[in-house]
Amino acid sequence: MTSQNELAASLLAGISGQVEQVLGSVRQVGEAMVAIVAAARAAGRAPRRGDLAALRPLVAEVLRRHQGFAAGAGVVLAPDVLADAPLCIEWWWGRQGLEKLEVDLDPESAEFYDYTTLEWYREPQRTGEHSVAGPYVDYICTHEYTFTVSAPVVCAGRFAGVAAADILAEQVERMVLPGLSMLGRPAVLASGDGRVIASNTASILPGMVLSSRDADTGLRPVPGLAAVQPGHPRTALPWTLHSQG
Amino acid sequence: MPPPALTTVRARALFAPLDEGGRAETVARRLAKAIRLGLLLDGERLPAESHLAGQFGVSTVTLREALASLRQMGLVETRRGRRGGSFVRAPQEPQSARLVRPLHLLSIHELRDMGDHRAAVAGAAAKLAAERALPPDVAALREYAGRLRGAATLTERRRADARIHIEIAAAAQSPRLTRAEMDLWSEVGDLVWLPVPDDVVTAITGEHEALIDAIENRDAEQARRAAEQHVLAETGRLIEVRLGLCEP
Repeated sequence: MTSQNELAASLLAGISGQVEQVLGSVRQVGEAMVAIVAAARAAGRAPRRGDLAALRPLVAEVLRRHQGFAAGAGVVLAPDVLADAPLCIEWWWGRQGLEKLEVDLDPESAEFYDYTTLEWYREPQRTGEHSVAGPYVDYICTHEYTFTVSAPVVCAGRFAGVAAADILAEQVERMVLPGLSMLGRPAVLASGDGRVIASNTASILPGMVLSSRDADTGLRPVPGLAAVQPGHPRTALPWTLHSQG
Repeated sequence: MPPPALTTVRARALFAPLDEGGRAETVARRLAKAIRLGLLLDGERLPAESHLAGQFGVSTVTLREALASLRQMGLVETRRGRRGGSFVRAPQEPQSARLVRPLHLLSIHELRDMGDHRAAVAGAAAKLAAERALPPDVAALREYAGRLRGAATLTERRRADARIHIEIAAAAQSPRLTRAEMDLWSEVGDLVWLPVPDDVVTAITGEHEALIDAIENRDAEQARRAAEQHVLAETGRLIEVRLGLCEP
């Protein structure tokens, strides 16, 4: 393993660590939701939308903790968990001050925001594991190029929704670009489905998809630390580094 | 029910900084636009005057002036009393005469220019979407195309159509093109689905499907051409309707 590869692998480990910290906070929000649901059920009733307002201070704290990195956070419920709302998003966001997100959750409406079909909801539901969706253009909330980190929330053994946070692609780039530039050869960070997240060369740009058709870029995946250092934990991220040479 | 706050999307669209001069008119125009685009829903209570004035950064006097002109246009209704306030009156399934009225205000030159702008944005978005879309992006486009095909009312058609174009810009991975499509649709949404004969509806849904096919096949140039031709055909139809208004 060359020192260049080591540099690349530790770059990936670095950004993974940052995202894992957000994921840790997301899980904390999920646990708080589990407690709220359990408390309502212990009192002999189904949880209500109003009960979830109690999450606000924790979400505010989480967004402060990850200020400049996580742009919004909250919980998104599975259908029919709540007594008074078939679907529910309790989501706060904002650079200054906390804004509550409001979306149309009426299935009859033309503007219906059916989150149950979206990757950041569907994947944790399907796999029981966390997911890192994106980057994608989020025209519902941040209006920016965004990632959504989400983790399943399980109440009494049943999937009850996801806890999640948005991370702006711009912030990820800010974090990895200095390291990518140090590699001294063309290199990109790509999402699990091959979408370029950050690149140190103008010939391959963020948003592009790496595929066999682009074989002429000469990019090869760089093995992560888990692959080259026995005992190093795998990262929580499906992202990979690709570089020339 | 407490008066609803505006969603962030709608607040963003509405409260971007205003230009100087004609502020009441600008506020009225922006609110009218939001109502026509469906960002503000029929029957919805607007936030309190002082709050709304604050968000637009204008005085309450200016805001009232704007509301008065919206009342004249029949887009807002003001009720008194404890449950009073200003309520949105969105044209749900508007009469064709009413739909044609805004067209009268636009010159052929403006319609052509609007079409050129839309073709530029939609063409660029389609080309980039063909290069950058992944299978789930294409699946989302098919979903909205299906909704457009199944749409029964003008309002549903307009929304599904807008959604397809906004999703294409999102699939292009460009927040700027996405915002540009959202802005353009707030301007033209009213116009492109003027009452049209069934064969034209079929033609339009067919154009969308050809465009999505090109994106799925990663044929960037074909996607750009399909998007441009789609917009130009739409613009041509509008110009014909507009010219028809001049006939004796």
